[in-house]
Amino acid sequence: MPYTDATLSLLAPDGTLVTNDRNEMYHQAISHLGEADFREFYRVMRVVRRFDIEAGNLQRQGQMALWVPSIGQEGAQVGSAFATRSQDHIFPAYREHAVGYIRGLDLINIIRMLRGVTHGGWNPKETNNFHLYTLVIGSHTLHATGYAMGIGFDGACSTGALEEDQAVLVYFGDGATSQGDTNEAMVFAQSYQTPQVFFLQNNHWAISVPVRVQSRTPLFERAAGFGLPSIQIDGNDVLMSYAATRLSMDAARSGQGPHFIEALTYRIGAHTTSDDPTKYRDEDELAFWQARDPIDRFRTYLTSLGVEQAFFDQVEVEAEDHASDIRARTMALESPPASEIFAHVFTDDHAGITAEAAWLEEYLASFEEGSS
Amino acid sequence: MRELPLAKAINEGLRAAMLADSSVMLMGEDIAQLGGVFRVTEGLQEQFGPSRVVDTPLAEAGIVGTAIGLAMRGYKPVCEIQFDGFVYPAFDQIVTQLAKLTSRHEGTQAFPVVIRIPYGGHIGAIEHHQESPEAYFAHTAGLRVISPATPHDAYWMIQDAIASSDPVIFLEPKSRYWHKGQVDVEVPGLAMNQAEIARVGRDVTLIGHGAAVAMMQQAADIAEGEGISIEVINLRSLSPLDMDTVMESVRKTTRAVVVQESPGNASLGSEVAATLAEQAFYVMQAPVLRVSGFNAPFPPAGLESIYLPDTDRILDAVDRSMAY
Amino acid sequence: MADFTFPLPDVGEGLTEAEIVSWHVKPGDPIAVNQVVCEIETAKSLVELPSPFSGVVKELLVAEGDTVQVGSPIISVTGEGADEPAAPDTGVTEAVSDTTASVSSEGDSGKVANLVGYGAGDDHATSRRRRYARATPAETPATVPSAPVSAPVAQAMPIIAKPPIRKLAKDLGVDLASVLPTGVAGEILREDVVRQAEQATVFKNIETPAWPENREDRIPVKGVRKAIANAMVKSMFSAPHVSVFVDVDATRTMDFVKRLKASPDFAGIKVSPLLVMVKAMIWAVQRNPTVNSTWTDEEILVHHYVNLGVAAATPRGLIVPNVKEAHTLSLRELAMALEKLTVTARDGKTTPEEMSGGTITITNLGSFGVDTGTPILNPGEVTIVALGTIKPKPWIVEGEVRSRMVTTVAASFDHRVVDGDVASRFVADVASVMEEPALLLD
Repeated sequence: MPYTDATLSLLAPDGTLVTNDRNEMYHQAISHLGEADFREFYRVMRVVRRFDIEAGNLQRQGQMALWVPSIGQEGAQVGSAFATRSQDHIFPAYREHAVGYIRGLDLINIIRMLRGVTHGGWNPKETNNFHLYTLVIGSHTLHATGYAMGIGFDGACSTGALEEDQAVLVYFGDGATSQGDTNEAMVFAQSYQTPQVFFLQNNHWAISVPVRVQSRTPLFERAAGFGLPSIQIDGNDVLMSYAATRLSMDAARSGQGPHFIEALTYRIGAHTTSDDPTKYRDEDELAFWQARDPIDRFRTYLTSLGVEQAFFDQVEVEAEDHASDIRARTMALESPPASEIFAHVFTDDHAGITAEAAWLEEYLASFEEGSS
Repeated sequence: MRELPLAKAINEGLRAAMLADSSVMLMGEDIAQLGGVFRVTEGLQEQFGPSRVVDTPLAEAGIVGTAIGLAMRGYKPVCEIQFDGFVYPAFDQIVTQLAKLTSRHEGTQAFPVVIRIPYGGHIGAIEHHQESPEAYFAHTAGLRVISPATPHDAYWMIQDAIASSDPVIFLEPKSRYWHKGQVDVEVPGLAMNQAEIARVGRDVTLIGHGAAVAMMQQAADIAEGEGISIEVINLRSLSPLDMDTVMESVRKTTRAVVVQESPGNASLGSEVAATLAEQAFYVMQAPVLRVSGFNAPFPPAGLESIYLPDTDRILDAVDRSMAY
Repeated sequence: MADFTFPLPDVGEGLTEAEIVSWHVKPGDPIAVNQVVCEIETAKSLVELPSPFSGVVKELLVAEGDTVQVGSPIISVTGEGADEPAAPDTGVTEAVSDTTASVSSEGDSGKVANLVGYGAGDDHATSRRRRYARATPAETPATVPSAPVSAPVAQAMPIIAKPPIRKLAKDLGVDLASVLPTGVAGEILREDVVRQAEQATVFKNIETPAWPENREDRIPVKGVRKAIANAMVKSMFSAPHVSVFVDVDATRTMDFVKRLKASPDFAGIKVSPLLVMVKAMIWAVQRNPTVNSTWTDEEILVHHYVNLGVAAATPRGLIVPNVKEAHTLSLRELAMALEKLTVTARDGKTTPEEMSGGTITITNLGSFGVDTGTPILNPGEVTIVALGTIKPKPWIVEGEVRSRMVTTVAASFDHRVVDGDVASRFVADVASVMEEPALLLD
């Protein structure tokens, strides 16, 4: 069993609430949320999952070289993202599509990246500080820590004003915890007491390498070893994900230093569309986690609150429409012009770039058919 | 004789090396049960067991650093770095440690570590999955750097690399992984440090390695139709460079063009050009030209075919060389 | 309603082919977007392929068990297409695949466009756009070929020449293969190229012209031509000419010239066998003074100074300027004076004063590629020496046949002043220096 005695949850896999001594403070943390918020959680999880499936199909149809599925991890991502405040900065790894959606990212931009149109795809200033994806595992954790250090040096945290004090939320996976950069990020964070939350989505696999190769002990205990207040949650419980992140982020922004959340979840799909999990995972494990799906259990919970079928049907329609729209816009995407190769290599002018860009333009124009 | 794709040829070469020497072991991410993201190590853990084919934690510095320790213990580790763009976390262990350890130990110990790296573009990949970092390693004394272009090369060169007492960076052209070729499993190819005249010609020598060899051959086919006879050299060894073979060719043709996917600035091609300028000064009718990737970060896949040298860019350089 | 085909995608970053394991649909089946059409096996894994189109399956283009290349069409569907707003219409039925982002998708009509990012197949590497015919960067060389008298150097010998010399040769229209190199390392030097080019310009009729249509051309006898004619007649038909010849092994002179060229003292100064022969003449004059005289019916004026004339071809004809007081000049000064004289003559700027007062003359037939000849005396002089080509010839050295650089030293004399013995000794002296330049150290 991946769950331990330390695992915290608010909503059991069967969709019923759990109450005990240890999770009372977390129930408190969601007490201000109402049914409208919960409907929104459900809607986002459903829309993003449907989007994810559509993107996978588009890859199989040759419209992208690669797709990175996030199926199964919606609970961890949606809960935590909704718990952040608008002034916060988010540093994702490369699978946090739902988080991006919630911060205002048009998901076509993730497709643009995987279709070979861009290596970036958006401006964090236009996505409520949802930063770009970083494909080198763990590298971004240091960037997040550095940013958080800057918040501290600027005095933009610890004033006691929750609506203004800034904090940084950084997402990464179980594989990343082995990288030196990630461990250095925690060293620096602790040293500078950064307003930062490390959110580990332990989806149990780093491509084909199971988490036990990365660590023999629960990963939240490693962070505790660095001195960070650290908890382990059922990451497929969207309410718990919200609560844990809310409390940790507010503590971090209020001067209590960096915190760590290990969200136990599962990568239902493959690492990417180039991967084949049937080669290394067994069916039982997959079935175990499919039974703990974050969306199913939340639907059950909402139904128990009296949310009507019409709502769920309407969400399905919306999800379908969104997916179709993504499909249409994907097919219409065009390659950037050749000049893009040189467009943003430097901020200031660079003689080598100027000369090479001019050469390429002239070279392409020398063809009888004209430049492409 | 067997027809094998390049990935399978490396797989067979690894198998042969592991059968011949029980101190040979493989380490890397996803190489064991999955058999590697390109299936190059497929079936090897099954055959040789989990202590000889080892899945590592996700940490490139850790892979190379621990391989060094294993080599000190008497093993012959063959590390896999999953993609070219991910070798950089291991860069410190490679250049400050692995490259210098033989010298630091004043020859009292050898460090027979092989680092296999799939490299190069042409597969439409995302960032960090299409780079050509050979110059960083060729620039570093203490490392041998080799790159097979064909399945036959791959089958024998991986075994040569493992048998070498020195650290070897083994660059595998991933765009060629699934291309098949004849592999003579009885008779080895050229020595590890030798270049190959892949095609005989008269007018211009094209020089390159890895995936560029196939591209140069295609350019030569087109040029032949226009009455230009091109000689193609497959460098195979990037450090040391087999300048004897290159010089012999250039003395004959008097014109040279280097082709490489990597950016041209301070590249391996620059070294070939400078060396030829020095050694073949009186012979050459034109300066050595380089056809390289542009000096910009490798672009998104939609621009890959413009960024990377293609037959048109190669033949443009051939034209310019011939016009001198 | 249109037909759409689905080309096999590269589903795993660099795959080139896949095997069709099983079809999940058959012709006539209705099909929706994303509905699984088949299962394929790649080098990496088993993959289900979802349909990009909705409509009705028209044809399965490949069979179960077939191995198919990436990019090959596998199924055709009659239908509405891919449910997207109007895509750029290329007029090709594979409309869906044409809207992909890859630059390389702009293929010829009828060819299936590459899908995004699929570069591992061999297709992409062929040149689809033949490069535009570009003007060569260097200007096309003048059509003057190299002088016909020079035989091309044998194919086996590599042409050794620095880039600036190669460029010079190209600019002057000289074929390097026909140039005799005189460099220390066997390389072709600037003056070798210039010499070759000069030969070409001296011979005005390189191409064989067609027979003129008029029966005759009438050239007036005047100017330089008249002067030359008068001088030749005066000389020829007043002085009884006798010519004497000797062949000599001039290898040591050629070596000496090479070493002079490499010497820092002679850097930038034109050095050639002519210089050595001129020095030899001056030395030989010292030993045979009467060859350096003027006949005046009453007296023979023996000059104890040497104003050495050099026959020079100019655009307007042959002139003989002379180096004044040549016997007082060092080898280096002599070299510089000869160079200056030649350049001045070629530029047509030689003054009458420079052309008068000569006491003895040398003519360089070798620059025309001619072995030897019977030169005509310059009026007022009694000796003229001819330098011919210096070229490899068989020679007996220590009893064996060897290849040596051999030349013929020729001289014509006025027999009123110079008898056969003096003539022979003079020519022998010149020749002996050509054979052994160290005699000049005397």
